[in-house]
Amino acid sequence: MSFRSSITIVSSPRPRVGKTLLARVLTDFHLHESRAVSAFDLNVGERTLAQFLPEHTTTATIRDINGQMALFDRLIAKDDTTKIIDLGHESFELFFRVAHEIGFVAEARDRSVAVAILFIVTPDKTSVDAYRTIRDRFAQATLAPVHNEMLGPAQHRDKYPLAGRSPTLVRLPVLAPGLRRYIETPPFSFTESITGKAAGVPRDAHSELQRWLRRIYLEFRELDLRILLADLRSSIQFGS
Amino acid sequence: MARPAVILVGADKGGVGKTTVARTLIDYFGAHQTPTRAFDTEWPRGTLKRFHPDLTEVVDVTSVPDQMKIFDTLGSADAKVTVIDVRAGLLSSTLQALTDIGFLESAKKGQITFAVFHILGSSIASLDEIAETARVVGDASYFLVKNFINNTTFFDWDPATYNSYFKKIKGAEEIVIPKLNEMAFEQVEVASVPFVSFVANKGPKNEAANNSFVLRGYVRHWLGNVWGEFDRVKLVDLVSPKIESNVRQVAG
Repeated sequence: MSFRSSITIVSSPRPRVGKTLLARVLTDFHLHESRAVSAFDLNVGERTLAQFLPEHTTTATIRDINGQMALFDRLIAKDDTTKIIDLGHESFELFFRVAHEIGFVAEARDRSVAVAILFIVTPDKTSVDAYRTIRDRFAQATLAPVHNEMLGPAQHRDKYPLAGRSPTLVRLPVLAPGLRRYIETPPFSFTESITGKAAGVPRDAHSELQRWLRRIYLEFRELDLRILLADLRSSIQFGS
Repeated sequence: MARPAVILVGADKGGVGKTTVARTLIDYFGAHQTPTRAFDTEWPRGTLKRFHPDLTEVVDVTSVPDQMKIFDTLGSADAKVTVIDVRAGLLSSTLQALTDIGFLESAKKGQITFAVFHILGSSIASLDEIAETARVVGDASYFLVKNFINNTTFFDWDPATYNSYFKKIKGAEEIVIPKLNEMAFEQVEVASVPFVSFVANKGPKNEAANNSFVLRGYVRHWLGNVWGEFDRVKLVDLVSPKIESNVRQVAG
């Protein structure tokens, strides 16, 4: 089992901390790696992920049982597709409560699908408490705190102890200020920017963007390897 | 040989969830590998039999031949536990019949383990039922079941009044059945299978089913909580003292 057959939940109980940007980059990363990807936009109101990745994104809601069935039953379907959830802060508490109640992570693992939770860290108590609750409730998932360097220097890492199957910290590097206007205007694709197909991006901005993408893709690959190693380790322990 | 156990599930009011509770009990004992049989007194057509056809017989509990079928076979049946789902309105009269045939006397002497699951309705009339039932229950293990599965609110109960009834009954214990999502409950009804089969995604003939993972998850979580209540009152110890009673793992 590895990241190639996985469900990744990009989360934080706080708004405007970079969840959708991370979900976008992650989706484009998997597309760049030629994997089948389905992204799920669980934000209320703004549907930014769907605007940037309309062909790969399903907008979803879990406020009622029908929405929960539509989402979770599809997430655990065996279809060799990598799934990414952009979990809006409004749906954060309900999503993890339902996931815990229905045994989502255990069911996914029974189907040989890894569940990774990318949690964007912030210094507030709400986030710290939420992180600890997730760590306690979803021990079978990979929980990776994400330091979004655009939010400032990380002076609160000690509040987010690394834990679980493959402890690691993911860094979302600072983006040069001039680049924001390109990547925040749809339609923009990170994958297309790599191949030089993204329209309207000047050469110097393109080079800067490539550097930034290389750094974040390296973070994703490292996370992928850690999950793979953790699975190998648990397989060896199970077999011995 | 262990003494047989009889569990009566009833209420004098309809629609309070007697059969649902009986189904959870049958699943619970099944998970403990405790041989169980059931009698459905909704004669001539029983709901319990639809969910547990192999274990359940539909009987007319007011008829002497069917009473013989239940009580004369307690010692000889393979099943150690007998669950009787008493039709609405027949709880008091069934208990009276048990008194008349000397069953309650046998329970008092310790020859039979006897427990009553009294499913309470939300109305104040249910409190009067408690007093009426307690009068004839005698030394049986008496469980007062508050069933919230269909979002009952027990709105018109004054806690002091309820406690005054509750405390009159020596050894009575309260069991709370939590709410289950309506759609999840409905889908189990439509599937016509035991709760454990629904959770395991199995059909009536143990064939693979295609139930929603979300609904199965809600049922599993709910059933785990219900069985947690049965664990709390040491139900397995009551009917079979030697069997370990950590059952929620099986629900998971």
